[in-house]
Amino acid sequence: MKKGMFTFGLALLALVFAVSFTTGCAKRATMKEGTSVSSQEQRIAPQTSVVPAQAGTPTDDTAARERALREQALREAAEKAAREAAEKAKREAEEKAKAKAAAIMKELQICDVHFDFDKYNLKPEAMEVLKKAAPAYLKYTDYKLVVEGHCDERGTVEYNLALGEKRANEVAKFLNDLGITKDRIKTISYGKEMPLDKNHNEEAWAKNRRAHFLLNR
Amino acid sequence: MRVKFNVVLIFTVLSLFVSATGWGKVYLDIDSPSFHKFSIAVPAFKDLRPLAQTDNLTIWFADELSRCLDITGYFQILDKKSFLEDPSQAGITAEGIKFDDWTTIGAEYLLKGGFQVNGREMTTEFRLFDALKGELLVGKRYVGKPEDKKTMVTRFANEVLFVLTGEAGNFDTHIAFIKHTGKAKEIYTIAFDGSSLFRVTSFNSLTLSPRWSADGRFLAFTSYKDGNPDLYVRDMKTGSTKKLVSSTGVNIPGSWSKNGDRLLATLTRGGNPDIYDITVENSVMQRLTRDYSIDVSPVRSPDEKNIAFVSNRNGSPQIYIMDADGGNVRLLTHQGNYNTSPAWSPKEGKIAYEGSVNGRFQIFTMDSAGGEPRQLTFDAMDHESPAWSPDGRYLAYSVSGYGRSRIEIMNADGKNIRVLYEDKEGCQGASWSPHKK
Repeated sequence: MKKGMFTFGLALLALVFAVSFTTGCAKRATMKEGTSVSSQEQRIAPQTSVVPAQAGTPTDDTAARERALREQALREAAEKAAREAAEKAKREAEEKAKAKAAAIMKELQICDVHFDFDKYNLKPEAMEVLKKAAPAYLKYTDYKLVVEGHCDERGTVEYNLALGEKRANEVAKFLNDLGITKDRIKTISYGKEMPLDKNHNEEAWAKNRRAHFLLNR
Repeated sequence: MRVKFNVVLIFTVLSLFVSATGWGKVYLDIDSPSFHKFSIAVPAFKDLRPLAQTDNLTIWFADELSRCLDITGYFQILDKKSFLEDPSQAGITAEGIKFDDWTTIGAEYLLKGGFQVNGREMTTEFRLFDALKGELLVGKRYVGKPEDKKTMVTRFANEVLFVLTGEAGNFDTHIAFIKHTGKAKEIYTIAFDGSSLFRVTSFNSLTLSPRWSADGRFLAFTSYKDGNPDLYVRDMKTGSTKKLVSSTGVNIPGSWSKNGDRLLATLTRGGNPDIYDITVENSVMQRLTRDYSIDVSPVRSPDEKNIAFVSNRNGSPQIYIMDADGGNVRLLTHQGNYNTSPAWSPKEGKIAYEGSVNGRFQIFTMDSAGGEPRQLTFDAMDHESPAWSPDGRYLAYSVSGYGRSRIEIMNADGKNIRVLYEDKEGCQGASWSPHKK
């Protein structure tokens, strides 16, 4: 039995060589392709000469094929493990990057600033919000900013579009004065068209008279 | 909408005959405070085919004409139940009418008509009589397809108004407004009588401030369809849309010039909201205001020598008038702390606008030369964006409050308020088209 095992081992070893040899050959042949006159000829030649020589008897052939399959499975498992490890590493790197980006985004996030009715001048509390927000933008210069100007529902569509623009412009100007270059700040007015709170009372109106901030890369 | 109208134009019109006294004579000054409504009887029409059976159309014509005249606010339509005339005996010409039957029940005017359908052709006759004098004021015969009958009715309603008031009616005009659909806002038009609701834009974005050109062919508007509030012009005949101005910031249309070559607009161009006069052909801009404040909503006077607009240059939004070149700015509104949305009457030196009263917006009119404002609406709702009819006799405007939203029309004196369109999701703004050419 032990002997049988030994022979089996030898045969397997031989097959391993055969496989590695053929593949190696194939590789070499392929590598040679560029220099050979006829690539077709080159690819066929090693297979016809090497494989029959190593194949031996029909039983050896079946065993060899099984071993080849097993070997292939092993190789595939190893490749899979390597691939998964790489993917995991990539994923972790991505998550890390994402977390970092999220942290940056959080740092760059600016809460809405609010305005008085029919006014576009910045209130002291709005200035505080912007002053606190500015350093992050000076630190992460890849990020751009959209300032949306919004109004409450009172007054005409047109007047409020203009008023929203004035509000967005005031904010942009203040941020620019704090050192954020103009090319990084875009303004857009939505007038009274996109209220946060659709109620028709002072509380809703106060919420809706705002500059809202969006990040852009 | 335009296309359909052009098809309708094919039907032929024959003036039956017009009395010497009737044509063009203004019977009553409808704008005078002492004006009382024209009392008019509109009996069922006659089917003019020999031995015709009574048809639903006999009633339809009378009812549709009555409805049209009623919504003008100038007529008292007499109740059919009071009619004394025997329809089987009476004709539709002066010879076949016993006018006493009508004056007895209080009719000053009598509107009679008939029709006949031969296959795909419909012929209609309409006659307006002065019942007191027993004479014909205007008569028309229309030949067209059966589906043109509504247009025949509104055409004759316009004739009646022209003869009695000196101005054709507004039945060929359309009001453009903004309808909210989910998060989007789109432009729609609706006819003066509340029919023919038509969706103009399908941008699935915010679209605002429609403004008809003086010939009714184009609509200028603002849309966010490409992200920024840019100014577009839609050709209502071809349906094509052209982007006219897309400067940084807001680009909002104001009124057109009469010959359609220029458009007033509010632009920020990356800076301050100011008023510009723009050539439609190649967008050459003439800047008219330079104040560091909000200048918005420009409208031309009928003679195009002046422009009314809104500015907050003295603190709160008020209406100002300037010369067409931007010079000689003077404050118009002296009362109230929030007056916007001026609309210059096409016929009189009058400006309509919205002003805040106790936290609600109400419609006012005022002489363009100044003076006392006249408040026209009083409900505890917001009444906004007034627009004059081409004859200056009506105002369309939007009303919102208590979760309701609609477009209304009222006579220029604030009477005869009529809901033109109501929408749960919301509607806003109004621009009134000119008469069809």
